[in-house]
Amino acid sequence: MNKIEYIGKCLVVKTEGKKILVVGDLHLGYEEYLNQAGVFVSRQMFNEMIEEFDEILNKFGEVDEVVLLGDVKHDFGSVMWQERRDALGVFDYFEDKKIKIIIVKGNHDNLLGSVVAGRGIEVRDFYIIDEFCFAHGNRDFPEMHDKTIRCWVLGHGHPAIKLSDMVKVEKYKCFLEGEYERKKVVIVPSFLAYSEGSDPRENNLGLAWDFNFNKFKVRVVGEGLSVLDFGLLKNLT
Amino acid sequence: MTEISYIEKTSSKDVAGLLHPLVKEWFFSKFKDFSDTQLYGVKQIHDRKNILVSAPTGGTKTLTAFLSILNYLVDLSVKGELEDKVYAIYCSPLKALSNDIYVNLIDPLREIKELGEKKGIVIGDIRVGLRTGDTSVKDRVKMLRKAPHILVTTPETLAIVITTGKFVEKMNALEFLIIDEIHALTNKRGVYLSLTMERLCDLSVLDPVRIGLSATIAPLEEIAKFLVGSDRDCLIADVKLIKKIDISLGFPGIHILEAETVNSQKELYKMLDKIIQEHKTTLIFTNTRNATERIVHHLSMTFPEKYSGMIGAHHSSMSKDKRFEIEEKLRKGELRVVVSSTSLELGIDIGSVDFVVLLRSPKSVSRALQRIGRAGHKLHDNPRGMFIIMDRDDMVECGVLMKLMVEKTIDKTEIPKNALDVLAQQIFGMAITKIWEVENMLKVIRKSYCYENLTKDDFFSVVSYLAGDYALEHRNVYAKIWYDPQTKQIGKRGKLARVMYMTNVGTIPGESFIEVVIQSPAERRGQSVGKIDELFLERMKRGDVFVLGGQKYQYLYARGMKAFVKGDVSKNPTIPSWFSEMLPLNFDVALEIGRFRKLVKERIKNKKECVSFIENYLYCEGGVGEAIYEYFMEQAGFSEIPDENTIVIEKFKEEKEYLLFHSLYGRKVNDALARAYAYAAARLKYRDVEMGISDNGFFIAGECLDENKIVGLVKSKDLRVVLKEAIEKTDILRRRFRHCAARSLMILRNYKGREKSVGRQQVHSEFLYAAVRKISADFPIMREARREVMEDLMDVKNAERVLQWVEQGKIKLKKINTPIVSPFGLSLMLQGRSDLIRMEDKASFLKRMHELHMKVIGSKREEAKELQN
Repeated sequence: MNKIEYIGKCLVVKTEGKKILVVGDLHLGYEEYLNQAGVFVSRQMFNEMIEEFDEILNKFGEVDEVVLLGDVKHDFGSVMWQERRDALGVFDYFEDKKIKIIIVKGNHDNLLGSVVAGRGIEVRDFYIIDEFCFAHGNRDFPEMHDKTIRCWVLGHGHPAIKLSDMVKVEKYKCFLEGEYERKKVVIVPSFLAYSEGSDPRENNLGLAWDFNFNKFKVRVVGEGLSVLDFGLLKNLT
Repeated sequence: MTEISYIEKTSSKDVAGLLHPLVKEWFFSKFKDFSDTQLYGVKQIHDRKNILVSAPTGGTKTLTAFLSILNYLVDLSVKGELEDKVYAIYCSPLKALSNDIYVNLIDPLREIKELGEKKGIVIGDIRVGLRTGDTSVKDRVKMLRKAPHILVTTPETLAIVITTGKFVEKMNALEFLIIDEIHALTNKRGVYLSLTMERLCDLSVLDPVRIGLSATIAPLEEIAKFLVGSDRDCLIADVKLIKKIDISLGFPGIHILEAETVNSQKELYKMLDKIIQEHKTTLIFTNTRNATERIVHHLSMTFPEKYSGMIGAHHSSMSKDKRFEIEEKLRKGELRVVVSSTSLELGIDIGSVDFVVLLRSPKSVSRALQRIGRAGHKLHDNPRGMFIIMDRDDMVECGVLMKLMVEKTIDKTEIPKNALDVLAQQIFGMAITKIWEVENMLKVIRKSYCYENLTKDDFFSVVSYLAGDYALEHRNVYAKIWYDPQTKQIGKRGKLARVMYMTNVGTIPGESFIEVVIQSPAERRGQSVGKIDELFLERMKRGDVFVLGGQKYQYLYARGMKAFVKGDVSKNPTIPSWFSEMLPLNFDVALEIGRFRKLVKERIKNKKECVSFIENYLYCEGGVGEAIYEYFMEQAGFSEIPDENTIVIEKFKEEKEYLLFHSLYGRKVNDALARAYAYAAARLKYRDVEMGISDNGFFIAGECLDENKIVGLVKSKDLRVVLKEAIEKTDILRRRFRHCAARSLMILRNYKGREKSVGRQQVHSEFLYAAVRKISADFPIMREARREVMEDLMDVKNAERVLQWVEQGKIKLKKINTPIVSPFGLSLMLQGRSDLIRMEDKASFLKRMHELHMKVIGSKREEAKELQN
């Protein structure tokens, strides 16, 4: 039986006897990009990210594959030193654990090829396994509409939700889960720390399809890898 | 030790005796006699004494400063002893300097030279160089070849100039340093300048004479110390021109209570029109950009035939060109009326203005004097103006301000001390010029009055930050300097250091604003109604109602740098108002209002006597006394009149419990007090507590407030510790951190030749903020952000004083249960909540919200089931 399990900012898909960890937009090298832009933030995200992966794998146990949902690197124009080092660090991390890495290409990933070259990692436009299709979400591909595919798992949108008790507003990363052309659609939040993302009620998430988010379900990422069901977006106040 | 002394005038004969015959002849060909200001200052400068000259606007301060210097240079030139070096630096915070320089320097020099030629005396070229951020490369190179004898510049450009290797050589025997408009530098810009002055003096073999020029300000001793730094003496010339101030107070309509209605808005424009028509040129000061634009809009809409092309707006967010255009038109007398927020308060001669309207309270006596002084800028014209008030709190406040103006009681201002962000930028600048012995560097820094008590710990924490010690990894990310603890030396690091410094100098933070645009109703679609901070938008969600420029809007959605809203909203605001533009009421004025309240309270039983007391005390007429009396009577009947010895605390219940403190100490003090009380309340119940502040008081609101416990928990000795906790999760700290990060060059506007948009900077700084908080709670720039919030934005020192007065019994807290808010608290309640003390963290909030939603979802399912059944 196929199953999606939510675990912190990630999800695990069980299909064809495999367990696949799905990770949203990583934007590696964001700190170096900031440094280049004249913001002197120190480099600490990588270590925090690895700690988070440890936590997820400790809680969930072994997985067979990891799918990175695109925008693995942040900078469009060039490959920076930190990006390369951090990307290789991520690859090493999963390969040491004998986890196969699959990358779907994001809009920030133009030059990703040079980073993965020689590592035997394939960068694809989309990844189809059984009834699942993993894609970044900024582009549509005809193959995604094949009727054997029942579920799309997408990144790119950086979904987040503002919650309010009429006194204060806080923003949280969230999954959006709904239907489109009779396929299930799951939009995975970004993995990037410190920046929650965009609320679909106020911002255009920039996805390639015109989803009716009102009918999407909101699953909010909470503390300690918990994910909380907040029901349909239209019912949220 | 610094010795500060006040001086008297020198006789006209003695001053004339100092002048070179040519200069003397020139002077008396232009002027009948020396002005008072010149009698005070010229001889002292001639004698090379440090001096602060304080005179009301309309004096002849600039020429006072320059006369001795011109005289000296002409004398040298005649003797053929004029060297190729900078003799004097004139530094002004105003950017539009060129006009003033012509009047005060270039024209006199030309005229003296011509006069000399007629008499066969040859005077060489005495060069005046203007250098600001706009000076071209060509002109800068020219200055390097031939140094100007007098360099005219701004604080920011001066900091650049002293970091320019070659030019420094021309300044190393500087003799005079003039700081103009020094009253406008009691902020971080001034703190920055104070260090620049010490760096400049460190470069120079001579210790130049320092000359400060100031409008009316208090305390003068403090400004004098700020001018000269530690261990230098300073004279003060307190020039009190006997200008009579012609000021009155009025309100639109017949009765003040009508002031906020649509009808009274119409009356306001009628009133303004009448004033404008009675004068040649009228200058209207509002306190905010939005109000400025509203007034201009309505005046030209209501009276198109009168004001088309004759009205102008002038505020700081307008482009420099646009502002300059308005200033030019003013000077030429081409405008009938100009509306300004604060930008026209300063310096530049604006010619033909003969009447000033102060719309709403200017919040301080010196500001009010400065504003009204813009009318009759010429020496012997008396400043004339009028307060126009829009509500009864404003009436009381402006009445007291008017009294203080007439009696010339000036309120006190303060200069920030030990600002670590400014220090970081300057240490970096110092390290660029040479390798320093660290003790020497500290010694130079401590010569500045703003850093004379800088601790070694603070100094070294900034050095550590700049040397990259706080970076968890890759020290080169932070490192801008190196520090060697063995040799105790400091130097710059990296090839880009100098460029990075030059292109990012300064202390005025960039702000990034989201434009608020109407989406509905359709007839107003696309209309821009004002600007809000990006961070403010982040705290809003779709459907929230907020207040901007006095109007309510409902937030719909955002696209790029625009927020789209619905206008004509009747719902109450759901989120705190956007207050960034509010001027705070000065503490001294606030205390005076408290005293006034007490005096009225004592006389309230006898109406006739009381009304005439008010009119005499405030120098007002025309129904003002009666209106104030009625306002006080209403308050007395409803609850009690708070005064200088009584803080009335009203408790009432709306959807929540409210404790409203009538603490009239200005919003800077109330901000600190409100947070301390709200924090105490929040700690008791472990829930968030809302708070609202104004100049006249503050409220806290929560589900259940135990006032006895809350009041008992707030103590003067703990205030700073409590506030540190209470501001930790606030937006205001994030915002100030962004500014401090930019000043300390953690976020660069300009890096590797690319200018960053402020919006970009802001997104980045949010990230930086989160990252820095993880590194260390004691990161110096974070500490500076906290200091700025507590000492500059709030006034923790005076808040401590107020709490001490309460503890000593000088002030009584008096609790009264009221059914609703009393008249004195009404405007505070109407303006709504201004912040929240966050006790509940993000994770617990999420949990609570989830439980709430589960209930809603659960009950919906129940309903659905029932329907199915």
